Amino acid sequence: MSDLVLSTAQVEVKPARSAIGSLRTVQTACILIVALVIVSPLLMLFVASLKDDRFQILADMGSFRAFWVSDPTLSNFQEVGNFSGQLAFGRYLVNSLIILASTVGFGLIVNSMAGFVLAWGSLRGRALILSLVIALYVIPQESIIMPLVIMVSRAGMTDTFAVQIVPWVASPLYIFLFYQFFAQLPKELFEAAQIDGASVFRIYRSIFLPLSLPALATVSILMGIEAWNQYLWPILVTQTDYARPIAVAIATFFGQDSIYWDRAMAASVLMMIPILVLYLAFQRWFVSSFVGSAVKG
Amino acid sequence: MTLQQSALPTTVTATHPASRRDRSRLYQEIGMLAPAVILLTIFLIVPFLLSFWTAMTNQPLVPRPTPVRFIGFNNFLRILRDDLFWTSLWNVSRFTFWILPVQCGLAFATAMLLHQKLPFRNFFRGLFFLPAITSMVVVCVIWGTLFQYPTGPLNQVIGFLSGGSIQPIDWLGDPEWAMFSIVLLSAWQAYGFQMIIYLAGLQGIPDELYDAARIDGANAFQRFWHVTMPGLRPTHVFVLVITTIQAFKLYTQVAILTQGGPKSSTETVVHYMVRSGFEEQKLGHASAVSVILFLIVLVIALLQRQLLRRYDV
Repeated sequence: MSDLVLSTAQVEVKPARSAIGSLRTVQTACILIVALVIVSPLLMLFVASLKDDRFQILADMGSFRAFWVSDPTLSNFQEVGNFSGQLAFGRYLVNSLIILASTVGFGLIVNSMAGFVLAWGSLRGRALILSLVIALYVIPQESIIMPLVIMVSRAGMTDTFAVQIVPWVASPLYIFLFYQFFAQLPKELFEAAQIDGASVFRIYRSIFLPLSLPALATVSILMGIEAWNQYLWPILVTQTDYARPIAVAIATFFGQDSIYWDRAMAASVLMMIPILVLYLAFQRWFVSSFVGSAVKG
Repeated sequence: MTLQQSALPTTVTATHPASRRDRSRLYQEIGMLAPAVILLTIFLIVPFLLSFWTAMTNQPLVPRPTPVRFIGFNNFLRILRDDLFWTSLWNVSRFTFWILPVQCGLAFATAMLLHQKLPFRNFFRGLFFLPAITSMVVVCVIWGTLFQYPTGPLNQVIGFLSGGSIQPIDWLGDPEWAMFSIVLLSAWQAYGFQMIIYLAGLQGIPDELYDAARIDGANAFQRFWHVTMPGLRPTHVFVLVITTIQAFKLYTQVAILTQGGPKSSTETVVHYMVRSGFEEQKLGHASAVSVILFLIVLVIALLQRQLLRRYDV
């Protein structure tokens, strides 16, 4: 009896530490399970892209062989990595990279300049422009796309790179993100530079822009993902291979009678790599800054 | 007299250095704002206003010799009488009904897990965000194989877990299942953004509240229910609203995987719009759909403002 009391007493003393320990184990186990479920489809894609035989790929899918390749080969990539011919995914990839780089490059400049003036300018009507920009954010891309197609086709812009870049450079969301970031920087920065006789553009370029790395990283990633993944717009405005992005090209696999999964997977991996590199490069700033602005935005 | 008055300020600016600087500052500001304003006007405001006009005409996709006619609200009336439109609206509603718990639940659960101080937390945060940077087309390639009928991986796993008692499901080919399959892959692709928003919300809850609750003897569940959940209320509203808006714009995955089928069970509003505009070449009709889509999104966004104001954010 006393033994029993003693043992319960011991249990009473201990629980804090062991309960936390077991809670931690449960949490870690949960994370690992979720990670497995979330990531296994991606892992499967990468493994399958290294397999030669498209029937074997599907046969392997139902077992653990989906995550294992005994004789990895790059033949799928050689097949789809061409720059000419029917499977010219190398070319589509380059097209997409051109569109990505230009959209993000111009977008960073245009949106950050606008955000800066809205935050620190002396222009009258600033507040009005800002509230207009916020209001414009409500308009979804899908509901302006119909008239936009008529506009660009009248302007003879179909099947160009410009038509996939220029319309999406300025964006209410990113102007607002930059505005929000610049506005929270201390007033003294602006005033001190102004007293030194620096012009507005100079203050923007030499003082505020170098300080806005987190905002630049966030907008780069968000704009990059958006530009990279555009699908509806390019199918409406590209008819030939000339400026066709890789997303549209991959989708054509689904129009065929039997899908060449081996090629589709290699093309998909090709499509994932650049955006993965962009993400890994900027991730450090992205999460914290996106976290900071998300809810207010 | 008037001439003199208007002439006076100009001479002052010309001679006074401070005013000249003011003016050059003004020009610079206008110059820096101009690219964004011009681009937004041409590519957002003009097409937006045009969509209201086009919606009231019989504008075809390819220009015809006969002039475009103004037909008032006829396009809207035609849409409201079209069963396929109502089917598409019903489908996106069904999609919303499923995607809200699945996607937001997944985002919330992963955010709760990653908010704990665990080893390799940042690594897992990066890992869990990977689907969100994966292009929808690539997601369709991946899930297209997972959904294979009857021996695809998903069916194998279900068969294994149920001991063979559940028959293989024709995920994308069965009208009963097709939309739910789209829900699964959409949630997998997009939950990462919501996860990050939840992480932000969790970071915004001050530690003192948890400490106070602990001192008051609240257990883990009570702390979750009385501190975490109320603290996340604006985040929940925000996440639910953006997920709903996203859901109403559903297009890419449906266009690639099912083309609205089988039996129109995955027809969506945007897919209906694109089809009427580009396959049937009725741009006026399609523009009317886009106006309706905008109104739906507007109502949801206004609802969000109202809800957020109640929690004074």
